[in-house]
Amino acid sequence: MTPAELLMWVRGPALQFATVVFVVGVAVRILEILLLGRKPDLAEARGSEVIGGLRTIISRSIPDRGTLQRSSFNVVAGYIFHAGFFLALFFFAPHILLLHDVFGVYWPSLPTQFIDALTVVSIITLLAVLFHRITHKVMRFLSRPSDYVAWLLTILPLITGYLAFHRVGLAPPLLMALHIGSVELLMIVFPFTKLMHAFTLFLGRYYNGAIAGRRGVNA
Amino acid sequence: MTTITNDVKFRQLVSGLDAARQRALAARFVGHVLDLCSDERVTRVAQVAAKSDASASELATALHTARTAAIESHNRCGAECDWKDQAGYFVARAAVAAITPADQMPGGPAWQAAVSSRMARTCESIDTAAENAGTEQDYQYRTLAEFLEPR
Amino acid sequence: MSASLEQGIHAFKEQIDAPVATFFSSCVRCGLCAQACLFYTETGNPEYTPIHKLEPLRRVWKQEYTFWGRYAKAFGLSKPVTDAELGDWEKYVYDSCTMCGRCSMVCPVGNDIAYMIRRMREGMAAAGHAPEGLVGATRRAITIGSPMGVKLPALQAQIRNAEQESGLKIPVDVQGADYMVLLSSMEIMNFPEFISAIARIFERANVSWTISSEAFEATNSGIQIGVSELAAELVQRVVDAAEKLQVKNVISPECGHAYFAIRWEGPNLVGKAFNFKVVHILELLDDLRKQGRLKVSSKETQKLTYHDPCQITRRGGVAEQPRNLLNMVAENFVEMPEHGTMNWCCGAGGGVSTNERADELRLKAFKRKQAQLNAVQPDALVSACSNCRIQLEEGLEENSMDIPVLSLTETIAAHLSDD
Repeated sequence: MTPAELLMWVRGPALQFATVVFVVGVAVRILEILLLGRKPDLAEARGSEVIGGLRTIISRSIPDRGTLQRSSFNVVAGYIFHAGFFLALFFFAPHILLLHDVFGVYWPSLPTQFIDALTVVSIITLLAVLFHRITHKVMRFLSRPSDYVAWLLTILPLITGYLAFHRVGLAPPLLMALHIGSVELLMIVFPFTKLMHAFTLFLGRYYNGAIAGRRGVNA
Repeated sequence: MTTITNDVKFRQLVSGLDAARQRALAARFVGHVLDLCSDERVTRVAQVAAKSDASASELATALHTARTAAIESHNRCGAECDWKDQAGYFVARAAVAAITPADQMPGGPAWQAAVSSRMARTCESIDTAAENAGTEQDYQYRTLAEFLEPR
Repeated sequence: MSASLEQGIHAFKEQIDAPVATFFSSCVRCGLCAQACLFYTETGNPEYTPIHKLEPLRRVWKQEYTFWGRYAKAFGLSKPVTDAELGDWEKYVYDSCTMCGRCSMVCPVGNDIAYMIRRMREGMAAAGHAPEGLVGATRRAITIGSPMGVKLPALQAQIRNAEQESGLKIPVDVQGADYMVLLSSMEIMNFPEFISAIARIFERANVSWTISSEAFEATNSGIQIGVSELAAELVQRVVDAAEKLQVKNVISPECGHAYFAIRWEGPNLVGKAFNFKVVHILELLDDLRKQGRLKVSSKETQKLTYHDPCQITRRGGVAEQPRNLLNMVAENFVEMPEHGTMNWCCGAGGGVSTNERADELRLKAFKRKQAQLNAVQPDALVSACSNCRIQLEEGLEENSMDIPVLSLTETIAAHLSDD
């Protein structure tokens, strides 16, 4: 298979497959959760569940001071690589064009040099995150193989994207195939791992805030 | 001799006493229920409380001992209650009250020692199912009346 | 009550709802929950990481309620939860967790870990893996009416004492009273002065109240051990008494878990909403203060700080009231560095203090509170839970700290105005 043929395949059938697995997988996971349901709460409410839930979706992104002090690396590094990944995915001009083909919507892009620098920062941060996961006693204790797989799947698109953009090392079509391939790999494995948190965290924060809000507590 | 028949008068008279006299009175109250407590430390604390010439450091040590005894003797949460042991707990609390400096004891050492001593007696009555309501209170009224008699 | 692994797993399955499934789906193993848990911070033992305490429940969730988990189980590729494992987990679920919920406040993906621990205890108990002390306490609660075996004559004796001390009649079984007061066994045994304190406050504030001779126990051991049927039975007794006396409100005393049990779990346990309100004593006191019916004629001058009982503030929603009351009765009230809903647990709630095996760990956990107190350097420490109070006293004693622990209600009573 030539690099061009590989790229065609990766852009074609492989992408379709990955998309189906991703969409169906995420849907099934969410459905599995929702089907379990939640018993109605008969205790007299002090506050609003809905307001509490919506509030916590936003407020939980801001750590309390104690947590920020005690877990500063986790919080700061977490913000950096999430922001980097998110911004590179949605605000890099070529990605916006691609997403436009799928969803028919445009939005403004961020300067390419900015995305470039952000990608490098994110990659370095993710390397630090791995080091932290391996060396910190709680992280090491908690971590499972799937955590390391998720890490790899997260960093690969960033690395391959960077290499593809800068055309480093291999022929451009091959680099592009690797990049898209790494994204497809992420999409396929996504529904089976903790990466689902990208969707479920909204629901989780909502439940948390709703349960607390009902009691009159801002969580 | 003054006759005391209720707690309003009791408290009023007790609060009129100075710190040293309150301690002496409190020591008497504790002494009366010491038989309900098997902890040697509490007995020693009661002795210190009764000493009119106890030094500041003796009192401080005794306070620490009394507090330790009280904390160690309370009934554990959720554990089966032993009212006999609880009596000992309240005797220790009475000892704590007796030996605590007056300005740190709301209501005063003598009143608090009186209350805790009554609790100790109540625990005894629960434990033995014997009726003794008011007996400790009566003793305390009589003791205060005697105490107030001019020598 | 027979117990088996099968019953345990069955209970786990029943307890897994959408929130639990969401939480397990979202955990990214970031470890922030560890830093929020005093059992981890004071021991440095990663096994006390909150989410780790739920591991058997997580595996049941995965194997029963996820597509690929069920698939793996069918092909013998998953690791089943064993009886031995649940035995190992007893110390995580019961010894090193008070369900204080601080972890639930910091998890970035929103996991309510305390919520899950409560549910996990149902399975642990059903499997026969709950601590002995709790089993005994629950048995006594069901058969005698109090986890500590406090019977009516004992309460009556304490009531008589309170009547002597206060000079007031303590109303028992009064039909149609506005408030029916519950008392925890801890209060009846260790801090009976609480009874005369509320008697004096209610008399001064003209509150119509009563104690029920048929249901006076506030503590709900069923919730601590995690057996909902028994917890429900204990709640039903209170409901029956409240309905029989036709009271408008039931007051939960100075006990954290008792409040959470009756206020927030109660109706769900018995399967229907109450036709009376449940208030914590501090809520009522603050209402009286607002209405001008609660007045003090003197104040505490010593420097005070407040320990928030977790089940009252963070899990219960009664955070402002103690502060309003302290500002009324204290001249020098200073907050701990992390206070209110982010205050630290005393280390003894949720059955931990009932569990002898957990004594050493519990006293280690107290060091977190010690650190807070060292930062504030108060003259006295105020709280509103008898169990916290005992733990605080023990911890302070163990660490040679000379700080008296005061009950907020009793402190108010001590300064009550004469008119």
